[in-house]
Amino acid sequence: MTSAAEAQLLATATAMRWEFGGNLHEQLVEAIYADAARIAERAVTRPDQEPRFDLDRTIDRVVTSRILGFPIMLLALAVVLWLTVIGSNIPSAFLFDLLIDTIYPLLKQIAANAGLAWWIEGILIDGVYLATAWVVSVMLPPMAIFFPLFTLLEDFGYLPRVAFNLDRAFKVAGAHGKQSLSMAMGFGCNAAGVISTAIIDSPREKLIAIITNNFALCNGRWPTQIVLATIFVGALVPSYLAGAAVALVVMGTAVLGVLLTLLVSWALSRSVLKGEVSTFSLELPPYRPPRILQTLYTSVIDRTLKVLWRALIFAAPAGAVIWLISNLTIGGTPIAVHTIDFLNPFGLLLGLNGVILLAYIVAIPANEIVIPTILMLTVLVTGITGVGEGAGVMFELNSEAATGAILRAGGWTLLTAISTMIFVLIHNPCSTTIFTTYKVTGSKRWTTVTALLPLFMGFAVTFGVAQIWRLVEGW
Amino acid sequence: MTEPLVALVAALALLAAAAGLFYPRHGVIPRWRRARQQTRRVRTEDALKHILGCEMSGDRLTVNSLAGALQITSDRAANLLLDMEHRGLLHGESDSIRLTPVGRQSALHILRAHRLWERYLADETGVGELEWHGQAEWHEHQLTSEEAEALAARLGNPTHDPHGDPIPSAEGEMAPHAGIPLISAAVDEPLHIVHIEDEPQTVFAQLLAEGLYPGMEVRLVETSPHRIRFWAGGDEHVLAPVVAANVYVARPADDGRDSVGSRLSDLTRGERGQVVEISSQCRGLERRRLQDLGFLPGAELQAELTSPGGDPVAYRIRGALIALRKEQADLIRIVRAEQAA
Repeated sequence: MTSAAEAQLLATATAMRWEFGGNLHEQLVEAIYADAARIAERAVTRPDQEPRFDLDRTIDRVVTSRILGFPIMLLALAVVLWLTVIGSNIPSAFLFDLLIDTIYPLLKQIAANAGLAWWIEGILIDGVYLATAWVVSVMLPPMAIFFPLFTLLEDFGYLPRVAFNLDRAFKVAGAHGKQSLSMAMGFGCNAAGVISTAIIDSPREKLIAIITNNFALCNGRWPTQIVLATIFVGALVPSYLAGAAVALVVMGTAVLGVLLTLLVSWALSRSVLKGEVSTFSLELPPYRPPRILQTLYTSVIDRTLKVLWRALIFAAPAGAVIWLISNLTIGGTPIAVHTIDFLNPFGLLLGLNGVILLAYIVAIPANEIVIPTILMLTVLVTGITGVGEGAGVMFELNSEAATGAILRAGGWTLLTAISTMIFVLIHNPCSTTIFTTYKVTGSKRWTTVTALLPLFMGFAVTFGVAQIWRLVEGW
Repeated sequence: MTEPLVALVAALALLAAAAGLFYPRHGVIPRWRRARQQTRRVRTEDALKHILGCEMSGDRLTVNSLAGALQITSDRAANLLLDMEHRGLLHGESDSIRLTPVGRQSALHILRAHRLWERYLADETGVGELEWHGQAEWHEHQLTSEEAEALAARLGNPTHDPHGDPIPSAEGEMAPHAGIPLISAAVDEPLHIVHIEDEPQTVFAQLLAEGLYPGMEVRLVETSPHRIRFWAGGDEHVLAPVVAANVYVARPADDGRDSVGSRLSDLTRGERGQVVEISSQCRGLERRRLQDLGFLPGAELQAELTSPGGDPVAYRIRGALIALRKEQADLIRIVRAEQAA
């Protein structure tokens, strides 16, 4: 080709480029779709009339109606939570009985007979074994019940309708309606909640859902709230009102968590996440009968066991650490006591104390072992005799009154209990959730935000509450 | 134990100090960073862009107009012009100042970088419309011509920025600036918006709030010295002439598409329609996703379900039930079934 012809060709191409504008690709896509539609028109036959009764459409009308939509949703959530709480008591008690009341003494016996060094026995049996056994017995049953129920609802096709109903509220907070589902999943387990954000296809809303999932009060934290509310709040009211007061306070914390989710979502979408791409689309698939066996398999294997395995990986070393800090001594005092003395001033500023802060540091693998660790450390610090199993051995008491007595001996007041309940709701996610967040986002930055944002929020809120409480008390 | 009042006051003081340091835009650190950006190179490049703008629009370049555009004193503006002339970027003719070929090339590069960056922000990020210009003002000085080239390739060599301004090619060629200001357009003629000026920001914000965007169909109803009344996107708008002067319109090329249309969000439950187009306001990932779901010209759909709050609404399209929010449905133009028949 001559250079003149070349130049002319280029000039024509440039001119045509301006003429066509930037949407050449789009015109291509449209043309392809149009071709496909023409072919389908020729090849596919459809029944002439729509069926008079359409089951899907009828169900949809009911579950998204103005009057029935929300009651049905609340009912479904209540039933799932109720089944989980009631249903997991029995297997939990059984596992606890087996792993901690039967096998644990047996292991101690074997170790004693084998003449194992006391510190190996301490690290392995009192530390690693006890922590992992504890996590399994309190974590496994609720997850094994909650996840299949949730997956069944999902498989049936109801959950997308929940997202559809709730989208309005989440839109105001700059989030996606599907975040209601990852949040509901978070009531079971935050790590599973973070995994379930995969259903959100918009990058910004997905990050919001991941970062705020921690504000859904998870399974590991409900019992702590109930125990503390029973001991400290239940005591404030006449005994016939105690049950109602405790339920009210615990539900109040959970609702506070939901409000925080929306508030933090709102703030995130308008600050650090402003530049992330945001889209919305929500497919409402046809209903279908749930496939029960497949659901059981996927929810037990994919969700329950995966999460449990990750929790165990972190719980095992934590158990060793808990035992070590209680038994290694510097100048005759255990490391734990030194650390507690060091943390105490800061803890008191937040309305907490050094024991609680240390318990949160070492019990980061699972919120389930926070209370046992607090009890053990309190006994260690106060030197109460007659309760507990010895330094570095976590324990729990059957009666709330006995637990309350230990905590009060450790200097707990009503303010301590309230601050702790707030801190239980607003603090860094457990290590399993942090690790899952890293796996899901692949970003150190967002993982750090997920871990530290709630922690600093917790510090700020407990600090404010404690100071105002003391001011009011001082008057 | 620390006195609670002391602790509270100390914490608040700490918070106030941190806010003073880091507060976006007004904090000490953001201000300091902005001040550091105002180097001589940046000022020179901004001046080049201003002079190019004057040459293209036919406005007269004066020391005062430059001082106004760069927000510097007229003494500094005059010094800047002298300095640029000395460096061979400008040459003064009898009564006016013009860019030399070298100056023109760098000016076009800055313009290209600016508009490409706006295109990038619009297509590939979630940054809001009002922030595009400000961010591009900073990034236009950072992009080398190789980087601008790579960015253009990644964006599919766009020809226009999201406001409808042509993007100069790497060779410095640029599509002609089409369109006339809305205030001087003829009444009752089918028009479409080709360009919305993004400066000054308050006027642009007002146009955004009206929901106007390039590509939108417009029909002028009334022009008077006090107000401009027109139909656009199914609604009537009334603007002050100062504001309307920032909207540029042209007669649409006859592409055979029906120009009477409603928005998808106009459909009430049970009504059917056919997609005409997705408005150009819907960009990037969102646009691609809607196309993937089958929202393409000619697709038939029906509004089937409304959420208890009234938003979102689920539409039956190609056999699937897809829920869209109102803002998205606003951007999909359709014809209703009875109109199509």
